[in-house]
Amino acid sequence: MTIRGSKKLWTGCAVGLVWFLILLWPMLGIKPEGFEFAATFQVFGYVAVAAVFVLFFYQVKEAGYLDAAGKPIQSAAGLIQRAYAKTPTWVLLGATLAVAIVFPLVTGRYAHDVAISVLIYICLGLGLNVVVGLAGLLDLGYIAFYGVGAYTYALLSLNFGFSFWLCLPIAGLLAAIAGCIIGYPTLRMRGDYLAIVTLGFGEIVRLILNNWMALTNGPNGILGIPRPELFGFDFRSLASLYYVILAIAVVTVLSVYRLNYSRIGRAWEAIREDETAAELMGVNTFLLKLLAYAMGATFAGFAGAFFAARMRFVGPESFSFLESAMVLSMVVLGGMGSIPGVILGVLALVALPEVFREFELYRMLVFGGVMTLMMLVRPAGIWPAKRVGRRSEEME
Amino acid sequence: MEFFIQQLINGITLGGVYALIALGYTMVYGIIQLINFAHGEFFAAGGYMGVILISYLSAQGLHPYACLAISLVLAMGYCALLAMAVEQLAYKPLRQASRLAALLSALGMSIFLQNGLMLTQGVYDKAYPTEITSGGLSWGLVSVSYMQMFIVALTAGLLLGLNLLVFKTRIGRAMRATAQDKVMSALVGINSNRIIAITFAIGAALAAAAGIMVGLYYGSVNYSMGFVPGIKAFAAAVLGGIGNITGALVGGLIIGMVEVFAAGYVSGEYKDVFAFVILIAVLYFKPTGIMGENVDDTRV
Amino acid sequence: MKRLLVLVVALALLGLVLGGCGGKEEKKAENILKIGTLSPLTGPYAADGNDIRQGAEIAVEVFKAQGGIPGYSDIQVFPQDSACDPKQAVAAANKLINDKVSAVVGAYCSSSTIPASETLAEEKIIMLTPASTNPQVTERGLPYMFRTCGRDDHQGPAAVKFMTDVAGVKKIFIVDDKTTYSQGLADGVESAARAAGIEVLDHDHVNQGDKDYSAVLTKVKAAGPDLLYISLQNSATGALMVIQAKRMGIDAILMGQDAVYHPQLMEIAKGDAEGMFLTFGAIDKNATAFKDFQAKWKEKTGKEPGAYSAYSFDSATAYLNAVKAAGTTDPAKVREQLMKLKFTGASKDISYDEKGDSGSNYTVYQVKDGAFVPYWNSLTGQKY
Repeated sequence: MTIRGSKKLWTGCAVGLVWFLILLWPMLGIKPEGFEFAATFQVFGYVAVAAVFVLFFYQVKEAGYLDAAGKPIQSAAGLIQRAYAKTPTWVLLGATLAVAIVFPLVTGRYAHDVAISVLIYICLGLGLNVVVGLAGLLDLGYIAFYGVGAYTYALLSLNFGFSFWLCLPIAGLLAAIAGCIIGYPTLRMRGDYLAIVTLGFGEIVRLILNNWMALTNGPNGILGIPRPELFGFDFRSLASLYYVILAIAVVTVLSVYRLNYSRIGRAWEAIREDETAAELMGVNTFLLKLLAYAMGATFAGFAGAFFAARMRFVGPESFSFLESAMVLSMVVLGGMGSIPGVILGVLALVALPEVFREFELYRMLVFGGVMTLMMLVRPAGIWPAKRVGRRSEEME
Repeated sequence: MEFFIQQLINGITLGGVYALIALGYTMVYGIIQLINFAHGEFFAAGGYMGVILISYLSAQGLHPYACLAISLVLAMGYCALLAMAVEQLAYKPLRQASRLAALLSALGMSIFLQNGLMLTQGVYDKAYPTEITSGGLSWGLVSVSYMQMFIVALTAGLLLGLNLLVFKTRIGRAMRATAQDKVMSALVGINSNRIIAITFAIGAALAAAAGIMVGLYYGSVNYSMGFVPGIKAFAAAVLGGIGNITGALVGGLIIGMVEVFAAGYVSGEYKDVFAFVILIAVLYFKPTGIMGENVDDTRV
Repeated sequence: MKRLLVLVVALALLGLVLGGCGGKEEKKAENILKIGTLSPLTGPYAADGNDIRQGAEIAVEVFKAQGGIPGYSDIQVFPQDSACDPKQAVAAANKLINDKVSAVVGAYCSSSTIPASETLAEEKIIMLTPASTNPQVTERGLPYMFRTCGRDDHQGPAAVKFMTDVAGVKKIFIVDDKTTYSQGLADGVESAARAAGIEVLDHDHVNQGDKDYSAVLTKVKAAGPDLLYISLQNSATGALMVIQAKRMGIDAILMGQDAVYHPQLMEIAKGDAEGMFLTFGAIDKNATAFKDFQAKWKEKTGKEPGAYSAYSFDSATAYLNAVKAAGTTDPAKVREQLMKLKFTGASKDISYDEKGDSGSNYTVYQVKDGAFVPYWNSLTGQKY
């Protein structure tokens, strides 16, 4: 790095730190009794030391002093990558699946719980990926379908004694219908109008779940939902439930994969890239956009039914806007339109807050910061989808 | 009738608050097409800065109105600085990236700021010294507090000022040019980065003013107060036609009125459902909002 | 192909974290007594949630200062955030199970306590809730579920008894904010009031997160009730409603419940809260047990104890006492001891019944000069 570049970096850092101090001090230092500086400078001290350290490290790395340490890692990574490129895809997938199957046998209860969450969110993320990633329709109320699925199973099993396996397709179907209902009025809208309308729909569904006492029992939620059962086998332990959701997740991954590379998937991508052009080429945009909503909603419905069975309790709190935003974050963070990307995004966003549980109060602060940071470092997502051909906006 | 008039007054006040927050959303959206989720947090930060400054200044023995005026200006300045920092760190590097990336970055910032407020200010609500603004007028069932008048007057004043700024000054012209075409406006010598930073600063300053109003009117602030009004204000901005300053006012008033009348005449728990149904219905028949977008949609 | 590296590292990290956490702590786990707390440390109910956590921590400190519990080298508290969200509460409960806690103090929201208790029951972990008043919490036949606070189905009738016997009101208006707790209680008050011959003018709802109650309060003013019953989940929102009611010129008697009972109410509403009535468990603030607790609380936090601080302190104390008596953390034996337990806690005299309830002793308090003053006891029917 040149001296000038280095100077620029350090001035930037200094300006940033001074700015931070100006923002921090009024919050911590102005008291009715007078000004106080100790608390501010304590916090500021930590941040400043951390910033200087990171910057120093960055410069050392840029200067190449870390090559000695970096080289072996890089060559090892290269080795793995070559091995990866040579290994047939089915071996990799088989290995992943094998790990997934063995996982509950070697881990404890808490890990099962987190793994189940991860798999539920994988279903949700992949479903939303159909809507946002493939068809390019921004949806901020996606969690509503999850809620529809969850309440479907809860109500049908408690009121009519339907089994979990029968309710699963019904939940998917009802969620798909809800998807069409929500999709229909939004078809004329684009971009951010779509965002606020779907957000509105999500809130409406949540409020109805919270207020329609006769049907949903309102804020009390529904208690005592039965566990899944198959030929007399009761899915009692978390580990057995893990296999149920694993199966649902695998089905979801396969379906989304097949959809992605089908005629429908191509048509969705065409709509995403340029709706007018797609329509001119004979793509039935109306039907396909509705289909995108319905397909996406179906997977959320499956996940919802399982969620109800796993928690044995559903309440409206689980279907708030923040959940929608979370699922959307997983999709975008992982890489829109890319199945491995979405899975990585889910792993990152479910695992991070759990890892940060140790930080207690700082948990969500760190989470928010890391989320922004990840977007800054990899704006296209951790594992962006491969796209065919070049796009006009990339030529600029 | 008195009932109706009272609800109308309630609706205008609530609508005024939403409009003040919606202005910031709409300005930022108009210029860089970003839904700034962190905007609600600027609102909360403004509310906190207000209570911190007012308590400090009144402890120094200043006249309450002087306290209020000074705090208002300082808190607006504080939030402007905060917004510029957020813009510089979290949005500027993503200007070329996909809009969803920026949206998520904004969401991350929102969570970060909200928790930052929680850690520095504590989880308990902070009480505003409401004595400054107590009192009001009343006729029978109808009562109007001075604070309600103040909110409406301030909203109107800031809106007028903002309109003058955008349509009558050089900076305003530069803003409109940048909103229309960043490359072209750069070619004619407009520093678009600076203009965007200024837009963020103004939007956040308005949110800070709204935060102080809310604190004074309702009596307290807390760190999570930005979330719900943020969503409502966003809906208001879209309803009025996002990017359109008058639209934000119209949208804010409509959302406020619908909520109040739904709660007053139908049922309190479904008032938000009514607000969102109206929003969806309006957008269904008029997809660019009531006042229309202020920007052409070829860029969308 | 940096992706693969990222993938491998991410998976490895995840595996380490998930697998590793459980493993490394087991070695020294022999004789450390571990208690978890489960309460909303973030989100809108964080104020009460932190009170619960600190209450348990202070109880442990007291025990340690007295020389700990024989057979245990240390007592540790593992605080977890439930965020008042059922899903997070279950995840946190599982985390506590992994941490090998033997008892959990919490949770706050009834809607978190219920699902979390199902999870904890599977591992026979004792749960003592200091704050969840929904009857369902102890009505499900879980042997290891205990409740140190009162029950909503006692609180509602107590409030109504106050309305008829003491306040002598004819017409009431009820407002709640649609949570398991607040609505359940408001419904209880409504049915009890109807049964007692009080006219219920309306029962309206507001949403959580709202700050503006003007529309509903205008309705209240137009209806002209003798008493406005406010059932909100949070003392801060309760304060906002009180301020707005006074500003609107509503002259009905204001009455709140235990969630609104918090020093925050007077801090925010100031003079507007004067004269308001609230139902809350009788805490004898002049008793030595409470005074000792109050002193310790102030020393640790610099504030007055919150509504649930004393209940949380007592929950943890009850458990620790039971462990001391049983000499083990074996849940069945500890339960036996908990059943036998009778002691004077900071909040009340504590003894658990077969269901795990500790009885309700709701008292009506009135706000006077910025403090809660006991006004009328529902058990004795006497004014203080």
